[in-house]
Amino acid sequence: MDSIIFGDNQFFGINHVSEDKAQALAERFKDVRAILDVVDTAYDCGIRAFMFNTHDRVAEVCDHFRANPQRYKDIRLYPSMPYAHKYANAVNEKGMIGALNEFLFADRTARQAFSTLVRGGWSVINRDMVSIMGLLVDAEMRMFRGLNIKAIFLQNIVTDLLLGLEAKDVFRAFAEHVRTTYGVDPAFNTMNMPRLVEFLDECGISNPIVCSSINKAGYFMSPGAEKYEETLCSSSFRPIAMSVLASGAIPAEEAIDYVCGLPNLQGIVFGASSKAHIIETRELILSRWKEGMLARTGS
Amino acid sequence: MLRGAIIGLGRMGLTHFSILNSHPDVRVAAVCDTHAFVRKNAEQYLGVKAFSDYEEMLAEPDLDFAVVATPTAKHKEAVQCALRHKLHVFVEKPFTLNPQEGSELLSLLQGADLINQVGYVVRFNDVFMQVKKVLDSRAMGELISFRIEMNGPTVLHDSKSSWRSKVDAGGGCLYDFASHAVDLVNYLIGPPDKVTGTVFRSIHSARVEDAVCTTYLYTTGLWGNFMVNWSDASYRKPMYRFEVLGRNGKLIADSHSYKAFFTQKPTFDGFVAGWNQRHITDFAKPVRFYLRGFEFTRQLDYFVDCMQGKSQCGVSSFASALETDRVIARIRDNAQGERRGEKWIA
Repeated sequence: MDSIIFGDNQFFGINHVSEDKAQALAERFKDVRAILDVVDTAYDCGIRAFMFNTHDRVAEVCDHFRANPQRYKDIRLYPSMPYAHKYANAVNEKGMIGALNEFLFADRTARQAFSTLVRGGWSVINRDMVSIMGLLVDAEMRMFRGLNIKAIFLQNIVTDLLLGLEAKDVFRAFAEHVRTTYGVDPAFNTMNMPRLVEFLDECGISNPIVCSSINKAGYFMSPGAEKYEETLCSSSFRPIAMSVLASGAIPAEEAIDYVCGLPNLQGIVFGASSKAHIIETRELILSRWKEGMLARTGS
Repeated sequence: MLRGAIIGLGRMGLTHFSILNSHPDVRVAAVCDTHAFVRKNAEQYLGVKAFSDYEEMLAEPDLDFAVVATPTAKHKEAVQCALRHKLHVFVEKPFTLNPQEGSELLSLLQGADLINQVGYVVRFNDVFMQVKKVLDSRAMGELISFRIEMNGPTVLHDSKSSWRSKVDAGGGCLYDFASHAVDLVNYLIGPPDKVTGTVFRSIHSARVEDAVCTTYLYTTGLWGNFMVNWSDASYRKPMYRFEVLGRNGKLIADSHSYKAFFTQKPTFDGFVAGWNQRHITDFAKPVRFYLRGFEFTRQLDYFVDCMQGKSQCGVSSFASALETDRVIARIRDNAQGERRGEKWIA
């Protein structure tokens, strides 16, 4: 498990606090070269672990990694899937079944489509949620083929939707599919960490990787920061913190001090767009974790 | 324990199912959907009874409430059926296809002690709730003008299969998307006394409008620009922008933050003369369960609280949503009138 993972929200114009900042990010990262420049900066600062959502743009980033194997020989990727807005827009347009068909059968060569058809039945309507989930994971994972994958994350909208629905079999099937097909650990992004940890335990998914917003502002921490702190103390799972800076609402030093003081944390996902910020945040994390977490995890 | 049924298990139906199911005092007992695929999976993986006919489902004993999340054209019949069975009702927005249908439903509520709510979720957004407080304080003085914009990438192709591309089903930008903006203005400012200069424009859709532009006029002299477009690919997701100017101040808001300018220091805490900026992180309180936004949980928890008698009901009630339907109808009438009167439009 990597203690520092570089996140990608900033590349897709995501900022949870300000739509103006989000717009500025969307303008800045309008082409893939701008994204790669930041990825290169992070890599050259010593960061090797990257979380990528399965946005169409990320497929181009992955093409670049494959085309330059020497440059990125130590890179470790943590895909997070699916990029939810891609699905939401398709569902609006084609309905749920039309959208599922599109994602399973879109952009394939005839041979790949044939193989999916054979495995998937001729249409989603003959299938059940669990087998469709496996096919969707495979469809999303195609962009990462040949790259070094460390864990596969279920994106938070899907995780939390299924959590509320208590779809235990779907969680178990995801975990199983990721382990057997890709040989890596299943991981989950969530906005409801305490509830999810308890639920995954009921599902029998042991020692899961759970990534959630953890920040001093208590932002995006449902049902509340105290419950998060309690869960961190008591549960056997591998917690990762994201949104530690709460999209800039907390000064970096204060923010990192808070998360690094929490028990059992295994890693931090952070995103930044400038070299100065990347270096500052990485060094802050390393220095605050020197005695604590880094010693425990040995990384 | 409150037991509920959900009619229509599309994107919103599933979202409501998930949020309600996570509530400690609620159990989703049954669902209804036209697709056999959805019914089969709901029974197999979600542990609920699934029906193809909601009349049959709502006749089940021990139900307390129904959530109606069908295409808009089906709202009236489904809500009628739920009220016949004496169920509390949460129905997705917009309420109905026209004010006539809404009035009929409202009359069915007479004498019945049933909670009724329409899914105008923006009324539960942290920022807009704060904006409402600022406006209600009258710190900005007499209102001069406002502007509401809502843009998103919801429809970027002509879709023949979706109900959203059919006016009769409740499709089109005005009903399905702009209704949120209409309701937001009703909530923050109040319904207009007149709408004028309405333009509907198709961008990708062959049969419905993709953009709506209109002007609101009020007898006080206040006027507002209303501009909504669901076919703007430059946006990642639907975004609101609301700007209002008063004699003593100005306020600019989106779903994540707002800034307010006052000529003099207002009486409420923390604000100064000049510009004041507030981000959602400054005041948002966590919800017990988060899915897609704080407001989605907050609106359903409010519905549950009302059923349990813990909250005074009334926010986004049928009566309130009927007012929104009335403004929607006037915008539609005005667009048709403008088109008839002005031959120059393409």
